[in-house]
Amino acid sequence: MTINIPAQYPRLRTETDEESRRRVRIRKVRNFFKSLFSHTAINIIGLFFLMPFLWMVVTAFKSDQDVFHTPPRWLPYDNLRVEVNGQQLPLYNVITPEGVKQLAAVKIVEGIGTFVDPANSNQTFQYDIQQGATIIAEPIMHVSFRWQNFIDAMERGSRPGIGVSFWVYFKNSLVVAFFSIVGTLVSNTPVAYAFARLKFPGRDILFVLILSTMMLPIQVTIIPIYLFFNDILHWGNSFLPLIIPTFFANAYDVFLLRQFFRTIPEEMCDAARVDGASEWQIFTQIVLPLSVPVLATVTVFTFLWAWNDFTGPLLFLTSPSNFTMALGLQDFQSQRTMIWNQLMAASVVFTVPIIVAFFFAQKTFIQGIKLTGSKE
Amino acid sequence: MDALRMSGRKFSWPPKISKMGPRQRVNFRIGMLFLLPWTIGFLAFTLYPMIASLVYSFSIYHSKQPLEWVGLQNYATLLTDDLFWKSLANTVYLVAIGVPLTLLASFFCAVLLNLKVRGQSFYRVIYFLPSIVPTVASTILWLWILNPNTGILNTLLAHLGISGPNWMSNPDWSKPGLILLGMWGMGGTIVIYLSGLQDVPISLLEAAELDGASWWQRLWNITIPMVSPITLFNLITGVIGMFQYFAQAYVFRGSHGLGYPLNSTLFYSVYLYQNGFLWLKMGYASAMAWVLFIIILICTLLLLKVSDRFTYYAG
Repeated sequence: MTINIPAQYPRLRTETDEESRRRVRIRKVRNFFKSLFSHTAINIIGLFFLMPFLWMVVTAFKSDQDVFHTPPRWLPYDNLRVEVNGQQLPLYNVITPEGVKQLAAVKIVEGIGTFVDPANSNQTFQYDIQQGATIIAEPIMHVSFRWQNFIDAMERGSRPGIGVSFWVYFKNSLVVAFFSIVGTLVSNTPVAYAFARLKFPGRDILFVLILSTMMLPIQVTIIPIYLFFNDILHWGNSFLPLIIPTFFANAYDVFLLRQFFRTIPEEMCDAARVDGASEWQIFTQIVLPLSVPVLATVTVFTFLWAWNDFTGPLLFLTSPSNFTMALGLQDFQSQRTMIWNQLMAASVVFTVPIIVAFFFAQKTFIQGIKLTGSKE
Repeated sequence: MDALRMSGRKFSWPPKISKMGPRQRVNFRIGMLFLLPWTIGFLAFTLYPMIASLVYSFSIYHSKQPLEWVGLQNYATLLTDDLFWKSLANTVYLVAIGVPLTLLASFFCAVLLNLKVRGQSFYRVIYFLPSIVPTVASTILWLWILNPNTGILNTLLAHLGISGPNWMSNPDWSKPGLILLGMWGMGGTIVIYLSGLQDVPISLLEAAELDGASWWQRLWNITIPMVSPITLFNLITGVIGMFQYFAQAYVFRGSHGLGYPLNSTLFYSVYLYQNGFLWLKMGYASAMAWVLFIIILICTLLLLKVSDRFTYYAG
């Protein structure tokens, strides 16, 4: 078969060598600028996402002296210390009449410092820290990661004198998350199975009903629920108001699970039905074992949700011994004392389980977002 | 959107058990048994609370004292409550500025992350990670970053010769600060956009390129229309979420009172919380909740209606 190409079609005219080289050169230049632009943009915006993250971690390792250092430094600094007579003392550069010396500070009271020479610890000297505008004694700082912040942050309470530490909050968060996961898995799977695989009169209208509850803002129901748990069941200040509702299914997880259950070949269920299996047996012995990926998604997202939840604990938990991490951290932060390094250390401890979960189940995360996201 | 498609059909409830055959009756029973967890949950945690809060909204109710029916008084009081209007205006600010800005930025990020760049998967993780940092932790972190004197943002701005604002205590800058915090955690929206971009048929883009369409023309005439259903989805969930904005604002005030500074972070849900749980005006708070529900409903329907013209559904 011959193709008639019109003679005047511009591309058909043979290019001279120079023209073709020119064309390639223009394309190369254009591609270079395109790639330069995209690399620059992706990196600059990447910094916007990355830097706060790094700043949280760096601050968590900073010493008290370094937290408010201006300008802020991207590495944690701490006093350089030496051991003098069994004590760890900070080293200072001190301008003495005999020149600049490195001396260890024993104490600094009202602008007058008492120093010892680490090499000759029997003798103490006294110097003003500052004379007029000139600083006489300046601490020697070095890069040092202060792991102690994590211990300090976790072993303190969110406010003084309550006798519970952040470890208790951490444990409380784990307990709430664990039972929420159990409740969510146990209650949502049968409901989703019914909507995915059972045929019964009224199923579709109930499904519309369950989906429409997604539209309902929590504010509409929370006050009666609060009064119900607090005044009728007297469950205030316990985990029960946070955990029990998860045992009664919710629209998001039902929808997510149903979408997955529908992808399981119906023939398998029918074959089992012919063999006399009950719906419960089909559900527990065929459908659930095939649904491990989506069960993992639900588990991860429930953990994320329960771990992150602030409003629930804020409403129902009143005594610090029951606080979750979210509530404890907020309480700590609201107590005027802005101990940023410990706040950030506690925040890191709060965030790490989720980051770990993310790296173990990266696919699950992304899949879950896509499944709930693109549900049109 | 299953719900929307189904809503066109005719339903009757409850199904008449007497009219069912024996087989259907058994199926119905089994089905209802499987649905039991949700049925109880729906009655106890959705239907009953809805009715109760509707009743409360027509009453004066201080939890411990008996309920006193006052008709529309709560709703009438709302109209003359300055703080109510203030909180509504603050929330509308977030919805009108925060949501479109976040959508635009996350679309742009998704386009970038869809380019063939070395280390693409690394960048995707970096863009996504902030969105899973717990809300309380990320809000406290941003309080630290936005610290006017020692925060890194104002230090950075100072390097560029800009004197940064007093983010936390200036009522004009507290909401932009919160929007910035929200944009830091927009990874979920980016992921949804990214999956949408990956569904745009490559053949279409290549055909356009052969015809001489520029990058911008392809983006404007192919990519953006093709992801418009996702934009609509993100828009609606964004608007609904923003109207319920609470935890970040609660934490952001630090040790100051709710709404600090000068009620500029007194958002709708914050004021509702204040009324219902701090001042124990349960009836008034319930009325606020129902007004919120109606506002959200109207916004959603309006967006769906308007979007008909701008949304393209392939296939």
